[in-house]
Amino acid sequence: MADLCRSRCAADRLGRRRALTAPAKAGALVRLLLDRFPDLAAGLWTDEDTVEVTIEGDRNVAVLQALRDDPELNFFFLADAAAVDYGVTEHLEVVYHLYSDRHPAWLRVRARVNRADPHIPTITGLWEGAMFHEREMYDMMGILFDGNRDLRRIFMSPDYRSFPQRKDFLLPDDAADSSAAGVRPLERPETWDLTRLSDELAPGVIAHAEGES
Amino acid sequence: MTSDMKIPDPLDLDRDEEARLRRVAGLPPARTPAGEYAGFESVGLPERPPQTERESEVYTLEEGEMLVNMGPQHPSTHGVMRLVVKVRGEVVTDIDPVLGYLHRGIEKLCEEATYTTVLTYVDPMDYLGTMHNEHAPAIAFEKLFGISAPRRAEYIRALVVELNRVFSHSLMMGFLALDMGGITPILYGFINRDEIVDMLAAISGQRMLFNFFRVGGVNWDTNDEFLSRLGTWRSHVLKNVEMSERVITDNEIFRARTIGMGVLSGKEAISLGVSGPNLRASGVAFDVRKAHPYSIYPELEFEVITQAGGDSNARYLQRIAEVKQSIHLIDQIIDKMPHGPVQAQVPGIIRPKPGRAYAAIESPRGLYSVYAISDGGPNPYRFRMRDPSFVSLQAIPKLMPGRLIADTMAVMASFDPVMGGVDK
Amino acid sequence: MELLLGVLRFLLSTTLILLLTVPTAFVVIQMELKIIAGAQLRYGPNRVGPWGMFQSTIHGFKVLAKEDHIPDQADRATFTLAPWMVYMAAAMSMLVIPFAPGAIAADFNIGIVYFFAVLGLSVVGLLVAGWASYNKYSLLGGLRSAAQMVSYEIPLTLSVVGAVVLAGTLNFRELIEWQRAHGWMLVWQPVGLAIFYVASLAEINRTPFDMVEADSELVAGPFTEYSGMRFGFFFFAEYVALFIMSGIMISLFFGGWLAPWPFPAELDGFAGTVYGVLWFFIKTYIFVALAVLLRVTLVRIRVDQLMGVAWKVLLPLAMLNLIVTAAAVVVFKL
Repeated sequence: MADLCRSRCAADRLGRRRALTAPAKAGALVRLLLDRFPDLAAGLWTDEDTVEVTIEGDRNVAVLQALRDDPELNFFFLADAAAVDYGVTEHLEVVYHLYSDRHPAWLRVRARVNRADPHIPTITGLWEGAMFHEREMYDMMGILFDGNRDLRRIFMSPDYRSFPQRKDFLLPDDAADSSAAGVRPLERPETWDLTRLSDELAPGVIAHAEGES
Repeated sequence: MTSDMKIPDPLDLDRDEEARLRRVAGLPPARTPAGEYAGFESVGLPERPPQTERESEVYTLEEGEMLVNMGPQHPSTHGVMRLVVKVRGEVVTDIDPVLGYLHRGIEKLCEEATYTTVLTYVDPMDYLGTMHNEHAPAIAFEKLFGISAPRRAEYIRALVVELNRVFSHSLMMGFLALDMGGITPILYGFINRDEIVDMLAAISGQRMLFNFFRVGGVNWDTNDEFLSRLGTWRSHVLKNVEMSERVITDNEIFRARTIGMGVLSGKEAISLGVSGPNLRASGVAFDVRKAHPYSIYPELEFEVITQAGGDSNARYLQRIAEVKQSIHLIDQIIDKMPHGPVQAQVPGIIRPKPGRAYAAIESPRGLYSVYAISDGGPNPYRFRMRDPSFVSLQAIPKLMPGRLIADTMAVMASFDPVMGGVDK
Repeated sequence: MELLLGVLRFLLSTTLILLLTVPTAFVVIQMELKIIAGAQLRYGPNRVGPWGMFQSTIHGFKVLAKEDHIPDQADRATFTLAPWMVYMAAAMSMLVIPFAPGAIAADFNIGIVYFFAVLGLSVVGLLVAGWASYNKYSLLGGLRSAAQMVSYEIPLTLSVVGAVVLAGTLNFRELIEWQRAHGWMLVWQPVGLAIFYVASLAEINRTPFDMVEADSELVAGPFTEYSGMRFGFFFFAEYVALFIMSGIMISLFFGGWLAPWPFPAELDGFAGTVYGVLWFFIKTYIFVALAVLLRVTLVRIRVDQLMGVAWKVLLPLAMLNLIVTAAAVVVFKL
C-alpha cells in the first residue's frame, strides 16, 4: 500500500486550483498544540482546514481530555470517531475528529492501535455519545475499548464471528457459490492467502461458545 | 380430591416438559432462575448470557417489570429498528435500541467502487436527505483530488441542498403528528414534499435517490422545467407551510404532548454528540454552515436560530423556523446565481494523490461528515460516514426512563432519525 | 292476546335493531372514509360504486373472508367471547334509541339508566380481549381501555342527570316531549352538553381519546391478535357505538326527532314517524361527521393526561352543574 503523503504544503498536495474552504488560521492552533504537547511535534500535519496529530493508543483519554478541557483549545464537540485498517501487516487506527469554536480548523487525532492486541481505552467517560461509535468500531474492526460498559455488536447479529471492515475479511460462503464466481480473486478460494488471516473472535461470544456443548 | 394435591399451573407444565425434552436431547436447560437475565428470549434474542454490563442491566427484570419489544416491524419506528423497552405498567424504566436491520455495508462496498460510483452508493443512507448524503463525499473527494467545483455548480448544490432540507423538515413535522395520532399533517407534509421532489426530478431525473452530485460539480445544469416549477413552488410555499403547521402548532393537545417532553439540556446534548436542529433546540448555536463554512455559505446571509427549552416542542419549532430560513436562503441563492459551467474538467478515471480528507456538512438531522482516505488508486482506501441520526439515537435511552410508553414514540419522532443513516 | 302482540312486537323490534346495526356501521364507515379523505386533500374511495359508495360494504365482506386465527396460547373461550360482548353492548343499547314517536324499540321508563348501564358492558369485552390474547400489547391496550372507559362513565352519566332533573323523567320519549314544550335542552344545559360531548368521545374510544387502539404505539391495542370476522365485530361495534352516542346526544340535548325552528316540530300519524326518523338521522349524522372531523384533525391525548381530564376537570364540573341545576329547579319551581 502506498504510503500516505505527509507534506505540509497545501499547494503541493492539493493542486493549484483548490480554493480554501476555511481561512488558513490553523497556524494558531498548531502553535498551541506544539506548546501543550511538544512530544507530538513529529506527527503533526496540517491542511488548510484540518490539523492532525498522531498519538499512541493508550494516551487517547489524556490527550482528548486536555484538548477538551483546556479553555484555549476548547474542543468540546466530538464530531466523529472512526477506525481505519491499514493492512494485514500494519496497525489499526482510531481516528477522532474534534471541533472547537476557538479554532476554525478541524482537529484530527489519530491513535495507533496494535493489531495483535487491539486494546485502547474508551472515551465514553469524556463524551457519552462515543458509545455507539465505539460499538461500531468494535463490530466492524474488532478494536476492543477498555472500560466501555456496553461493548457489543451493533450492526451485525450478536453471534457474528468476524469483523467486516477489516482488510482481510472474506465471505467464503458466498464467494465461491455465486454465478459470478471466479471473476475476482476474492471469489476464487485458491487465490486466498490463508496465512494472512487474523484469528480474532468476539470475546464474550467465544467464551460462551467454548463453554457450551 | 385430597387437600394436598397440587394442580400445576399450565405454564409450569410447559416449562417442565420443555426442560425434560432438553435433558433428553442433551441440550443445556432453557430457563434460568428468575431474577437473572429472565427477559432475553421473551424478546426474541438467542438465549445466551448477557455479554456486557449494560446488557445485563437492561435485561434483568425486577418485580413488576416486563420487556416489550417495539419491534422492527412497527408503524412508527422511522424505519426498521427494534426498541426493547423495559416497562413497569405504563412507565418506561429502560430502553435498549437494537440496530442493524437495515445495515447494507455501504462503507465496505464503497472501498470497491470508483469515486464516482461511491456518490451513487451513499444516496440511500439517509434517504430523506439524499442531496446531503452526496454533498459531503463530494467535498471530501474534491479535497483529495485537489479540484474545486465551479461557482455555478456550488450554487446549484446549495440550492438543491436547501430544497432537500425544506422537504425533510416538512416530513418531520408530519411524522411527529402521525406518531401522536394526527393523521392529517403527514399528508400535508407529503404534498409539500411532492412539489419539491417533482422539481428535483426535473433537474436530476430521479424522485428520491437523486444521484446528482459529481466530483467537481453537479451532473446537469438547471433547465426550464426546473426553473418554472421552482418559481411556482416559491410563490406559494410559505402559505403551504403555514397551513400545514397551523393544524397542530397551537393545538392544545399537541402542546400538552410535546412541551416539557424529552428535555435535553445543551451540555447533555453536546456530550451525547447530538447535532443539528436537535442541538439548536437545546440552545446551543452550533450550525456547521456557520461554524465551519463550506460551499458558498460564507456568501449567504443567515443567522443561527436556536430555541430555548430543549423539549420536543422546541425541536418542532426549530424545524419550522429552519424551513423558513432555508426558503430565505433559496431566495438569496437564486438571486446570486452566476453563469458558468456546472462541472469541473476532470479526466474519466481520476486518481487522487494519496491523502486524507474530512468534510462535514449540515444535514437536516445534524452534522454529517465523511472521512476519506486515498491510497492513490481508483477506489477510496477507507470511506467513513458519520451519520447524525446514529448518534442522536443515544439520547433516547437517556431521556425516556420515568416517562410513559406513549412518549417514547413522540420524543423519538421529534429527534427525526432516519434508519437508513443509522444502519448505513 | 295483548301479551302475544307485545312479545311479537318486541321480537320484531329487536331483530330489526340487530339488522340495523350492520348497515349503520357501513354508512358510518363510508362517511369516515370520505370525510377523512377530504380533509387530507385526497379522493377517498371512488371506484367501488358511484362515488365509492359501496367501499365499506365490501370491507364488511372482505372481513368475512379473512382467515380466522387464534393464537396458540390464547384462551379460546374468552377470546371468542370478547367480540360478542362488545357487539352486544352496542346492539342492546340501540334498543332504547328514540328514532321517532312510534319507533322506539323498547320504550322503558328508565331508558336513560338502562342505556348507560348497558354501554358499560363494552369495557368488559375489551378487557377480556386484552387478557385473552396472550400478548403484551393487547394486555396494555386492554388495561388502558378499562381505565379510560371506567373513568369517563362517571362524568358522562353525571352530565345527563342535570337534564334528567330538569325534565323530571328518565324516559327518552318523555324527555323529548319536554324539549318540545320548553325548547331544546342545549339551551338549558350547555355545560352538561359540553361535558357529555367530551366524555362520549372518550367512552367510544375516538380520537383524541383513542389511546386504546393507538396504532402508532401498540399496533392495535386489545385487537392486535384478532382477525377475520372477530375483528369485524370489534370494528363494527366501534362505529355503531359512534352512531349510538351521537343519537343519544341529540336525543338528550338537541331535541331528538324534533325538527328545528322553521319546520314544524312534529307531524301526526305515520307521516309523523317518517318525518321524525328523517330528522333524527340528519341530526345524528351531523354529529357523526363532527366526530370524524375531530379524528382527522386532532392528535391523541396521553393516558395520564386523559385520566387527569376525567377526574380533575370533567367530574368536578359535572357535579357543579348538577348542584346548580338542582338548586335552580327548587328555586324557580321549574
